[in-house]
Amino acid sequence: MEWLTPLTGLYAAAATVPLLLLLYFLKLKRREQIISSTLLWKRAVQDLQVNAPFQKIRRNILLLLQLLMLLAILLALAGPILSLTSGPARRFVLLIDRSASMNAADVEPTRLDAAKKEAGKFIDSLRSKAFFSLKDESDQVMVIAFDDHAKVMCNFTSDKHQLRSAVEAITGGDGGSSLAEAVTVARAFAQSPGTEANNRSAENPAQLVLFSDGRIRDTDQVVVSRDELVFNCIGESQQNIGVTAMQARRSYENPDEINVFATIANYGTEQAACDVQLSINNNVRAIKKVTIPPQKTDDVSATARPGKVSVDFSLSYAGAGVLEVRQLQPDALRCDDAAWSILSPPKRLAVLLVTRGNIVLESALQACPLAKLESCSPDEFDAMDIGVLSVEQSYDVIVLDKHIPAELPRCRYLVFGHPPNGIDVAVPEQLENQVIVDWRPRHPVLKYVNMMNVFSARCYRMVLPRDGEVLAEFNETPALALVRRRGSVFLLAGFDVLESNWPFEPSFVLFCYNAAAFLGMQAGQEQRAELEVGEPIIVEGLSPDTAAEISGPGFSGREIKANPAGSIRLPGTDKVGVYSLKVPDQALKLFAVNLLDSDESNIEPMREIVLSGESVQAQESSLGLSNMPLWPFLVGIALILACLEWLVYNSKVRI
Amino acid sequence: MNRRETKTYQRRLTELLDPDFMARLDSLDVLSRKILQGKLQGERRSKRRGQSVEFADHRPYVVGDDLRFVDWNIYGRLEQLFLKLFLEEQDLTIHLAIDVSASLGLGEPAKELFVKKLTAALGYVSLVNNNRVTISSFSDGLKGQLANMRGRNYLSAMTEFLLTADCEGPTHFDSACRQLVAGRIGSGIMIVLSDFLFKEGFDAGLRRLIGRQYDLYVIQVLSPQELTPELSGDLKLVDIEDADAAEITISTALVKYYKRNLTAYCNELKDFCRRRGAIYVLANSADSVESLTLNYLRRIHLLR
Repeated sequence: MEWLTPLTGLYAAAATVPLLLLLYFLKLKRREQIISSTLLWKRAVQDLQVNAPFQKIRRNILLLLQLLMLLAILLALAGPILSLTSGPARRFVLLIDRSASMNAADVEPTRLDAAKKEAGKFIDSLRSKAFFSLKDESDQVMVIAFDDHAKVMCNFTSDKHQLRSAVEAITGGDGGSSLAEAVTVARAFAQSPGTEANNRSAENPAQLVLFSDGRIRDTDQVVVSRDELVFNCIGESQQNIGVTAMQARRSYENPDEINVFATIANYGTEQAACDVQLSINNNVRAIKKVTIPPQKTDDVSATARPGKVSVDFSLSYAGAGVLEVRQLQPDALRCDDAAWSILSPPKRLAVLLVTRGNIVLESALQACPLAKLESCSPDEFDAMDIGVLSVEQSYDVIVLDKHIPAELPRCRYLVFGHPPNGIDVAVPEQLENQVIVDWRPRHPVLKYVNMMNVFSARCYRMVLPRDGEVLAEFNETPALALVRRRGSVFLLAGFDVLESNWPFEPSFVLFCYNAAAFLGMQAGQEQRAELEVGEPIIVEGLSPDTAAEISGPGFSGREIKANPAGSIRLPGTDKVGVYSLKVPDQALKLFAVNLLDSDESNIEPMREIVLSGESVQAQESSLGLSNMPLWPFLVGIALILACLEWLVYNSKVRI
Repeated sequence: MNRRETKTYQRRLTELLDPDFMARLDSLDVLSRKILQGKLQGERRSKRRGQSVEFADHRPYVVGDDLRFVDWNIYGRLEQLFLKLFLEEQDLTIHLAIDVSASLGLGEPAKELFVKKLTAALGYVSLVNNNRVTISSFSDGLKGQLANMRGRNYLSAMTEFLLTADCEGPTHFDSACRQLVAGRIGSGIMIVLSDFLFKEGFDAGLRRLIGRQYDLYVIQVLSPQELTPELSGDLKLVDIEDADAAEITISTALVKYYKRNLTAYCNELKDFCRRRGAIYVLANSADSVESLTLNYLRRIHLLR
């Protein structure tokens, strides 16, 4: 038996025991009663004393009982524990899973809270430094919380209070669960002596105690020796419906039209019907009812496959916004009920026209809804810094009119005349009097473009590379072709517009519009706006020390400053949802952080995890106490003594 | 006699005794188990030969005898002179000794009142039947005495004596008895009324009274509070006579021992009396004097 708080007990004893004795030593204030003669009473008192051999004790049995009762309470205060385990002190590492699946509410209130409670029990059961214990060794514990990454909450210590607060400080995240890093960290720390530097660090390996639901992604990367890891499985239910995939994109043909694809998975054992809701900027646009088949177990591999249903929405929306797909059936895990996608508005293009003067092309491009149209002469274009143009992408489309630049910055090109060099398009000869014989009206570039009757007096024969795409054909050579090379896209028109009748056709303006829009679509996704949980938000290209405000699920208006390199990095996207970054003088940047993780959505608790071939069974019973606190028994004894005292007092007083 | 008539008595006997009770007492008389020597000629048969109608014996005539008592019938038959001897009838002395120590004043109802009522009843019966009555009050010595009363005329004197006797002071039974015996009141019935709770013991005192000349009755009067104490809690019991204190905590065991002691004490007194030919009577002050007098005392042949 050991004492947790013997000093408390001693102080209390020092205060109360003399008080109790004093109460007894104090002369009882007796009521005076006049009687005829004390003769018989004195004899009776004498008889009472003479006839009871244990009279001294009997007279003080109340005191005795009270002392015993007080003793029991004092002992209870001193916090005795019965050590049920013996042996030398050990070191434990508590690995607490804080991944998304631990947010499941199938265990009240959540799995994470249940795990924290279990961990608290474990900490309570540890042998702590006891005052009167012969063994001065106490168990040491380290707390690590992990999702995708491990986080050390508390280094090795035997201070239970510190451990408890470290466990309490663990908050749930929406990340995946990766045990390997946590185990590595735990082993690294196990080499260190811990906060109380007594020299028993390395000789006995620390016992790993895992609190998780068993949904661990990288089980094949974790190697543990037998009995090194004790696994406590948290979780009961597997009923969960989650969005496991979602994509929204504007169609090529019609930038206003948005196609949304989502996959809803059912991990439960019963067929589920749920509503899937699509909303833009929190305005509900559509709701679809879907019925998802139950989880099926593959007969061959004996692995369970969730029932999946694909949902697609199609809607037209031209503006920017946040698109949300949400399944409305309440279930255990909430963070996978929704997925978000950031819609950028259709791009308004910046176009550079390189020409020696082409009024037709100029006016046709001016008619297009462009953000910026600049024109320059070929000499000016050659004088531009190619590198800057490649990096900054200041123009979305460059229109080359009868100019063959020496070097091409990475961009999208609409080329009239001789195709540029170095894009694997050979021009063996010039042809004359060519008529369009065929075109692909379904291609976005040629949408609504009627090329009938287009005639060119002179054109170049283009021999396209294999991956080149022919959009329209003269009778002997491709007229319009699409070639992608070195990150650039070239839309080639192998003739001079001024040497054709195309400018007089209405289709020319339409072609220019389509070409600009199509090439604009080809412009690279300028910013990754869809992130996974845990991925940092990175915004570059800001001026140094720009103060930005970032808001996200659970917090808003957090100030963040750009570093001297002009980039902002927010690592803490451990919750799913929409994050917004407000940079002064810039449009609001939105980021969607999605779980979209089949492993985490599958919340079925695993009773057995296989770590690199080593199977670890979950502990069946909850934690056995290694220490049994004795104070409840002592309090019970005190209560019984109080009752006994009352009985004795009553029997003595009653006549 | 004249002197007594002039004396005015403030108290009346009815304060102690009911008229009805007195009427019933009229039919009673005091009996003595012994034939005792009286002082005056009275209604009691005595051992002495004397003048009465009760024939006792004959004896031969000697010169000088009164010729009036010669039995002439025998002379006629036997021609010898015999004298007729008669038993002399004498009066009976009844001695009532009452305890007036402070302890008698306690009790609910008070032992004092009970004792005085009983004394009045006994005195009434005695006086009415022309017995010689002496009433003594004692505490640590003889406190007062009303000696040699005889006849109804003394009733008011007795009443006054009883009602003016205050209960105070400690008891010293032995010295009281010594003084009592030294008073030479003559032989007769001695009735001692007290609670007999004497620290120094009752035997020395009673031994003085038990003897040739007294037919002793011991009447112990205890209050109900003494017989079955109804106390509770932690008490400091103070003796009213000598201010002796006993600190007790009332408990079942203590009360049990008290009762056992009380019984033992009373039995001790009873045995003491019985072994010496005295009659012991235990009375509860809550009982009625009437029933005690009319029933119990007749049953033990103190009264007839």
